[in-house]
Amino acid sequence: MSEPAEQETIVVIDDDYAMRLSCRKILSKMGFRVEAFEDGGQGLEGVTKLKPSLVLVDLKMPGISGMEVVTRIHEVRPEIVLVVITGYPTIDTAVGAMKCGAYDFLPKPFSPDELRLIVNRGLEHRRLSLEMRRSEMERALLKRRFITFVSHQLQTPLVAIHQYLDVLKHLDNTESATAKRQEWLERCLKRTDELQAIIKDWLSLARIEGESFSRQWIKVDLQRIIADILRTYEEMAATNAVSLESRIPENTYFVRGDRDCLSVVFDNLIVNAIKYNKPGGKVTVSGEDLGGEVAIAVADTGVGIPEKYHPLLFEEFFRVEGEGDKKTPGTGLGLSICRRLVSEMGGSISVDSEVNVGSTFRVRLLEYRAPAEEEEKKGSSG
Amino acid sequence: MAEKEKAPARRYAGEAILADNLKILIIDDDPDFRASTRSLLESHGYAVLEAGSGREGLRRVVEQRPDIIVLDIMMECDSEGYGVNQAIKFQDAYADYRSIPIVMTSSIDLSPDERFPMAGELDMIRPDFYLTKPLDIPKFLEVVQRASALCHSHGRA
Repeated sequence: MSEPAEQETIVVIDDDYAMRLSCRKILSKMGFRVEAFEDGGQGLEGVTKLKPSLVLVDLKMPGISGMEVVTRIHEVRPEIVLVVITGYPTIDTAVGAMKCGAYDFLPKPFSPDELRLIVNRGLEHRRLSLEMRRSEMERALLKRRFITFVSHQLQTPLVAIHQYLDVLKHLDNTESATAKRQEWLERCLKRTDELQAIIKDWLSLARIEGESFSRQWIKVDLQRIIADILRTYEEMAATNAVSLESRIPENTYFVRGDRDCLSVVFDNLIVNAIKYNKPGGKVTVSGEDLGGEVAIAVADTGVGIPEKYHPLLFEEFFRVEGEGDKKTPGTGLGLSICRRLVSEMGGSISVDSEVNVGSTFRVRLLEYRAPAEEEEKKGSSG
Repeated sequence: MAEKEKAPARRYAGEAILADNLKILIIDDDPDFRASTRSLLESHGYAVLEAGSGREGLRRVVEQRPDIIVLDIMMECDSEGYGVNQAIKFQDAYADYRSIPIVMTSSIDLSPDERFPMAGELDMIRPDFYLTKPLDIPKFLEVVQRASALCHSHGRA
């Protein structure tokens, strides 16, 4: 998707009137804005003002020489493509011009086709190098932001823990310290848990990035995975006064995937469903056979997600804005990890959510079919 | 230094008098950081207010007029604290609160000059005081004391 190209400007600097006229005619017809100047001085001024994409410079001119024009433009605006026009196309002049920063040279006399070809080639070169520079800058910026983000995320719980311990030490045996000690130690433990969860998230992400996990998809019974996860979070759910229910029967939903990846996916979805629920709420995991695909839905009766955030939900680092203390700790990576893993396994993930009613995350996965079984199933299902 | 460690927390020379009645607003999105900082400051005789976001912080500034603000930089977005600082120091709506000293804190060890190397508006985001987290307690108390001195010399409204 390229944006509508704005008209590019080409500057021609040549003391020969006929040359200026014909260049202008040919290039204008190609859709460029063309400005021509008859000597180096005016040409340089024009270039400063017009900021053209490409400049054609005659090497042999009275006053400031073409070579000097090339040198000066290249010094100030290296992104401008410079093409020299030369009456004596020797290797020496060409090499000299290139050394000064010219991109190409055009020997006189030249045909309209030759001019068009060299201009198009020059502009293509410019587009590519601009694009490359832009993506390099973007990458550098992203990397910087990423590092700041990660270190902030790891520092936050550490700072909280450090400060609790340091203040306890500072207050020493005063009354307030005795009163706080137990509560603060509890908080310190909570924050180390958070730190561990963050590190776990980062490791799963690094693992996906490194693509070091097995690509050997095997047959996995989702019932076992989901039952295991629900058991792990029974206590957390009870603390939050949330009830858990699995409607996934045994030996029913077999998918093609990786046990660990699937565990990470449903672990994330189920934890979210508990965390973002309301006291007295419910988390329900259910399945549906779509024929060739299996859809697993993790539904909660929690706070829900405003619709404007739905498109951003699976983006890295995205977090739904919470008010003050209502914020739940997390990396903003969970759902993006889910999406990556699910799509690695050939599936997809989507969300339905209504504020204050709840959210349902649906994961579609490929149904497992062993080659031998395939035949049987074909027979039995018609 | 050595005597400080031994002395009961409240008895920093001259501090108790200064600290009395001074209100400090902590704007930070981490409730644990606020809890420990609150206890520390209270044990030194300051009254403490809390806010969990930049928006809430600004509201409290107007409602409760603190004497000193301790402000975290990275809250909901990377530079939320700078926004609060800028609002208080430069926006007309907060003209009455401009003289309140602000102590900025961040776990990312970068002063605003390093963080925004090209920003021409650097003066608009440079805080009165800048400290890295976790706070060095003696240094933090000293900075808060310097800030208190500042609001005393300015005279309180």
